[in-house]
Amino acid sequence: MRVGVLGIGKTPHKIQHQKSLRDLVVEAGRKALDDAGVGPSDIQALYVGNVGSVGFNFENSTGLMSAHHLGLVPAGAVRVEAACGTGAWALHLGCVAILSGLYDTVMVLGAEKMNDLATVEGTSIIAQAADSKEEYFSGLTFPSGVALTARKYMQVYGLTEEDLAHTSVKNHHYGARNPYAHLRFECTVEEVMRSAKVADPLKLYEVCPMTDAGSALVLCREEILRAQPDKPQVYVTATQMATGTWYAATDTLEDAHALLARPAQRAYEMAGIGPEDIDVAEIYNSFAIQEPLGVEALGFAAQGEGWKGAADGSTWIDGKVAVNLSGGLLCKGHPLGATGSTQAVDIIEQLRGTAPEGMQRPDAEIGISACRGGPGAVGAVHIYQRLEGEA
Amino acid sequence: MTVSAIEFSRLGPPKLRLYAMRCEACDTLSPWWERNHCYKCGGGALHEEELAGGGELTNYTVVYYPPRDFLGQEPYVVGHIEMDEGVLMPAPIVGVAPEDVAVGTRVKATLRRMKLGHEGDIYYSQKFVVDAEAPAPAAGE
Repeated sequence: MRVGVLGIGKTPHKIQHQKSLRDLVVEAGRKALDDAGVGPSDIQALYVGNVGSVGFNFENSTGLMSAHHLGLVPAGAVRVEAACGTGAWALHLGCVAILSGLYDTVMVLGAEKMNDLATVEGTSIIAQAADSKEEYFSGLTFPSGVALTARKYMQVYGLTEEDLAHTSVKNHHYGARNPYAHLRFECTVEEVMRSAKVADPLKLYEVCPMTDAGSALVLCREEILRAQPDKPQVYVTATQMATGTWYAATDTLEDAHALLARPAQRAYEMAGIGPEDIDVAEIYNSFAIQEPLGVEALGFAAQGEGWKGAADGSTWIDGKVAVNLSGGLLCKGHPLGATGSTQAVDIIEQLRGTAPEGMQRPDAEIGISACRGGPGAVGAVHIYQRLEGEA
Repeated sequence: MTVSAIEFSRLGPPKLRLYAMRCEACDTLSPWWERNHCYKCGGGALHEEELAGGGELTNYTVVYYPPRDFLGQEPYVVGHIEMDEGVLMPAPIVGVAPEDVAVGTRVKATLRRMKLGHEGDIYYSQKFVVDAEAPAPAAGE
């Protein structure tokens, strides 16, 4: 499969008190339209990833709102929701829409406005993405649910808290260089270890912030992008989704691995490549432990060894595969519905060679993004390739 | 997150009773929320089975930033308890300082106030305390 990436756009990822959800939608969407060189009337369908506007913003029908404010009416529009995998699901549907042959050009947009409410309310809304009524009746939250996974991983593989801290050090090294990131500072292992406890054993620097942001892509049929050789020839070459167990209590480390390993395997088959071909990867890490889980699931390391790359350099910019050169969710933040679409935009920037200084992997040609959420309930993998000069 | 009283009455958290779901096809014991099918074999016939209340703490975390209904209880411990009947339960561990909690501890269920709803409504359910009468683990265990 090949789906052309005609345009990309994103807003800064940070707390943006002056902007509403619709402002973020319009800013990201217009940037993608401008980058694509098309107008609103060229978009035939819109897929909007948004998780919590009912709770965060007291508004619903985000897809229809976005279509109106972006001037896309009468194009079809829908809001997509699948916990933290939401933006990736919107991208999946956009790809499927093009591949179906029904549409020539569509827009995929993710947006979330999280910071109009206090942290305690936000935490409660986020908890609704899991079973807040039954399992989380026990007082569990998303951070503490993932903390249980982290401790399980530590028990089984002997990972120490200091070992895991290297993941945050790497992400912050690049996040400090990303003008679009929420948290832009470097940190050391000692500073990670000293940062406030959030959900033992996870600490503040191992947990993503709540962030306001939007990001968008204009996708098109392969022939449309081929006919414009002056545009960067970047294509989505695989899109795969999966579900996993909705409950942490019955979620084993094997389940946590399979959540991304299954769609990753299918994505590699779809693109006709393997893990050894990947130059750059954006791997979901709203909590630090999820980066090694993703590194392992994508086939970059054996199970139990995914954390080593951040410590020995093999997942840094000049390593075997560069992981989260954007700073990951730990630095960009996790604007729920926008996270999956921002991962795509960041990889596409890498393949275009337009990532900011200090973040650009030289000659990146093949990239992958992996998104998980729920926290064990949804997995998404996309592969992207720069394919210049092909007929 | 608070739910309406009528929705709460429909849900199956072990509020006053402590139970799990037994699959009639493969005999797997699942948490109470698996009412519709067995997550192991997919079997559709399950029945409730009472739990005696004893178990072992196999994993835990300390919550420093609670959801609204748990405000005031932080920092609190939530753990996974392997019940003696062979099912994992998520529940708070109380009556022990977070720094004294240890994996492998014998615990037993106790009915407590779980949380407060947004209209002052009180939700009761099972929390767990250290079982002081449990025999100490044998050396080397």
